[in-house]
Amino acid sequence: MTSRTFDDPRPFQKQVIAALADSQLRANLSHATTTIRNKRAKVVGELSDWEALRDHGAYIKDLAQSTLPELIRLVQENVTKAGGVVHFARDKDEANQIAIALTKSYGAKSVVKIKSMATQEIELNKAFEEAGLEAYETDLAELIVQLGDDLPSHILVPAIHKNRSQIREIFLENMGKSGVPAPMGLTDEPKQLAAAARSHLRARFLESKVAISGGNFLVAETGSIVIVESEGNGRMCLTLPETLISVVGIDKIIPDWQSLEVFLQLLPRSSTGERMNPYTSIFTGVTDGDGPKNFHLILIDNGRSEALRDPVGREVLRCIRCSACLNVCPVYERAGGHAYGSTYPGPIGAVLVPQIRRGSIGELEKSLPYASSLCGACYEVCPVKIDIPKLLVELRSQSVDSARNAGSISGEKVLMESVYAAFKNPTLFRNSLEIARKGAALIGKRTINVAPPPLSAWTKGRSLPTPVGPSFRDWMKENHPENIVRGPKSKKRSSSSRSALGSLRAMAKFGFNLSKGIPNLAPQDSAKETKQTTGDQGRSTSVAGVTIDDFTYPINQIIGAGFQKPTAPLNSYNKAGVLSHDEVIELFIDRTIDYKATITRCSEAELPQTIDALIAKNSTTTVVISKDFDEALLGERARTISSLDDNLTYDTLDKINTVVTTTAVAVATSGTIILDGGKGQGRRAISLIVDHHIALVYEDQIVEVLPEAISRINHRAPQTWISGPSATSDIELERVEGVHGPRKLDVIVVERG
Amino acid sequence: MKIGLMITCINDALYPKTAIAVVKVLERLGHSVYFPEEQSCCGQMHLNSGYRQEGIELAKRSIEIFSDFDYVVSPSASCVGTVREVYHNAAKATHDEQFEEIALQYSPKVYEFSEFLTDILEVEDVGASFPHKVAYHPTCHSLRVTKAGDRPTRLLRAVRNLQLLEIEKQDSCCGFGGVFALKNSDTSIAMGSDKFTSVKRSGAEVLCSLDNSCLTHIGGISEKMKSGIRVMHLAEILAHTGDQK
Repeated sequence: MTSRTFDDPRPFQKQVIAALADSQLRANLSHATTTIRNKRAKVVGELSDWEALRDHGAYIKDLAQSTLPELIRLVQENVTKAGGVVHFARDKDEANQIAIALTKSYGAKSVVKIKSMATQEIELNKAFEEAGLEAYETDLAELIVQLGDDLPSHILVPAIHKNRSQIREIFLENMGKSGVPAPMGLTDEPKQLAAAARSHLRARFLESKVAISGGNFLVAETGSIVIVESEGNGRMCLTLPETLISVVGIDKIIPDWQSLEVFLQLLPRSSTGERMNPYTSIFTGVTDGDGPKNFHLILIDNGRSEALRDPVGREVLRCIRCSACLNVCPVYERAGGHAYGSTYPGPIGAVLVPQIRRGSIGELEKSLPYASSLCGACYEVCPVKIDIPKLLVELRSQSVDSARNAGSISGEKVLMESVYAAFKNPTLFRNSLEIARKGAALIGKRTINVAPPPLSAWTKGRSLPTPVGPSFRDWMKENHPENIVRGPKSKKRSSSSRSALGSLRAMAKFGFNLSKGIPNLAPQDSAKETKQTTGDQGRSTSVAGVTIDDFTYPINQIIGAGFQKPTAPLNSYNKAGVLSHDEVIELFIDRTIDYKATITRCSEAELPQTIDALIAKNSTTTVVISKDFDEALLGERARTISSLDDNLTYDTLDKINTVVTTTAVAVATSGTIILDGGKGQGRRAISLIVDHHIALVYEDQIVEVLPEAISRINHRAPQTWISGPSATSDIELERVEGVHGPRKLDVIVVERG
Repeated sequence: MKIGLMITCINDALYPKTAIAVVKVLERLGHSVYFPEEQSCCGQMHLNSGYRQEGIELAKRSIEIFSDFDYVVSPSASCVGTVREVYHNAAKATHDEQFEEIALQYSPKVYEFSEFLTDILEVEDVGASFPHKVAYHPTCHSLRVTKAGDRPTRLLRAVRNLQLLEIEKQDSCCGFGGVFALKNSDTSIAMGSDKFTSVKRSGAEVLCSLDNSCLTHIGGISEKMKSGIRVMHLAEILAHTGDQK
């Protein structure tokens, strides 16, 4: 299995040509982005406090940046306290070396991976391959990309450029080469394709020793990592292998759990267009008897502190990788992801990549800030209000300034300076317009269809109007001479005295290749601060990486040099619900059903027979419950076929039909139940491997909005947030239920008393 | 009420009839419009393509030229949007506090033409007649920066004999984007062709918008395709009365 990486250094406008010519690709992209755009708009429209949530999301991220060194220290302290080890990697090579050394130190030859942008960014798969290790992707879309020896083209749905029949072919041809083959007679039904992925990966999940993840958020207050996903492959990787390595960018750190109540409302809606993604896993270090025994966190900088240095550009570090900007971008819709030449495509890529690669700007990086029409659709949907058009303009300005400082001359520069000279000087401006009019009169055409460069870039697809006919200025002179306001005579003339003709000559001389990139984006200070590195702590002494002091040194310097603290938003998002008790329950039921879970309502007294009826309906012959589950809640049938989870092996669990658990709290707005390992819930593996999950929710456990739930859960315990059965939307954005996690979810809403 | 007309550099060079139309409509409504002849460009072209210092100079120059007016009216959402947002961003990024201050004071009196009609003059029916099928394309800057909303379509609905048609995916960018149209001409043309296809599908004879820059792009494709679909600025449609063809 090979691991392709982005290695085409050509500028965007060259790389895009292939995509523009591929009508199948454009159809796939248009269909997919339109679908997800509409889904997003619907679920965002349901929230009255969406704008306040965006303001708070932006604010929290800015706040985190301004206190980053302290937050990093807190993360290290809390992860270590919880039995994990934190490693610090300044760049991709350091990060890969640490991950490889750790993997080898546990005697593993391969790892299973959760979809992660950070590991894509550092090209971990390739580094593993070069070190003689295999890194298996388990997210459906990443699997499609890896099996097809392809490159990802979208942040959320890396295989968005493939349609179902293309995916079927990839599965049939390649699954057998690296594991369980696709079943014969596989059709291109998304449900069947998802099932093929399930059986291809099942054994791998149950056997793997080491898993590698990224992290959507890293909560400093407790050192907890948050991972949102849909299929359950993430839960498998986070729960089953003995060792877990998480690679997380420092931009993912948020201060506290209260921050999380904002981001977990913003992210799923912006990303998959769901009120909540099917699964959110949150864990802190290691937990006795539940999940991995070893946990390593690799915190990466990899250019982020360089981006932080720029007071305007640093806004990009707010990004939560939702990909809403890609889905609304008219350029992305035509270009697809590959033309952006990196792991981060679309509008966010165009502003992120040139900034985190300030040390190595090539033709591609120079071209990215120009790969936008500045239409503003991205800014409108960004959940953390990154003003992408503003950043694009900023990066263009830095690029021009740096070329100017370097003394380089381009046709574009000559043109822009000549136009400027004309705009500054009223006489020159009027004369230039007159010359143009006379020229047009000579040609005698209202439009021209063929023109020399640089205008050929225009005329190859569009005709160009000519300034034929009298000017507005003449019309005013004739009709309203009294309304012409003359400029004050005293006004100084522009110092530039270049004549219009002279400008034209100069332009011709430089030949103006407008599409040619402009040299050098300005790295304000690319001189890397190098300090003597000292040894690491704990078991990381044998691996690369640096100490926390070395790691935070440049960040401290940037913040120490004067860093504007953000001001808190004046508006407030909804911290509590407004509905009555009955309405909240109704809403919870509606929203849970909407995500394809089944709801049954009963009283406490009816619970045993209700459970019995559900297992009968499912033809269940074996049931598992946690050791502290109250058996009195089970009916007679369930009790006779149930076993207590006394550390059952994963293989044993895989053969059990149904798991029954209680719940910590449930959120009505998103139809989410939250398990935090409390009484009757058991360890994470039982509600993951078993294919049918019955969850009991008491009416008084249901709250209306997410912030109400946050205070009710045990923050340090491993958590699973569940919204419907496992699902994927990786095939043409069509949601199908049932991948790696339980394929069936029954929720029983129980009335107390 | 002293109204200054900021016709914009592109109209000055290529679309005098749009500027004439603005004057005619405002005159018909009983207002005199003044034209400071020293005006050239608001600075957008330079600001958005990275030539920030030049852009700021042009912006300051434009502000000075229009400083004596109660209102500045411009037939371009894009240029008005530049005054409202890009000036501020450029001032912030260059720590030019003086520019930030004058831009802040200047921008509230600058109005895009359709806003000026509906919000300041409080008219929707400007006495126009235009017996054609017209589709309206909300340009990105009128949609997301000046937030014109339904102002232009309210004005169009009040035009006699005009049939207003809708185009699919109207909120999607046409692909002009200033320097984008040249630096990324292939993508720009791909976007413009999709936009043109939806205009054509609407059955419109005329495509109308608040920005001649975008119309140059879509109209250029229409012309190249010899489709016969014309592009017109909103002001030109509103300037039409019964006695014209």
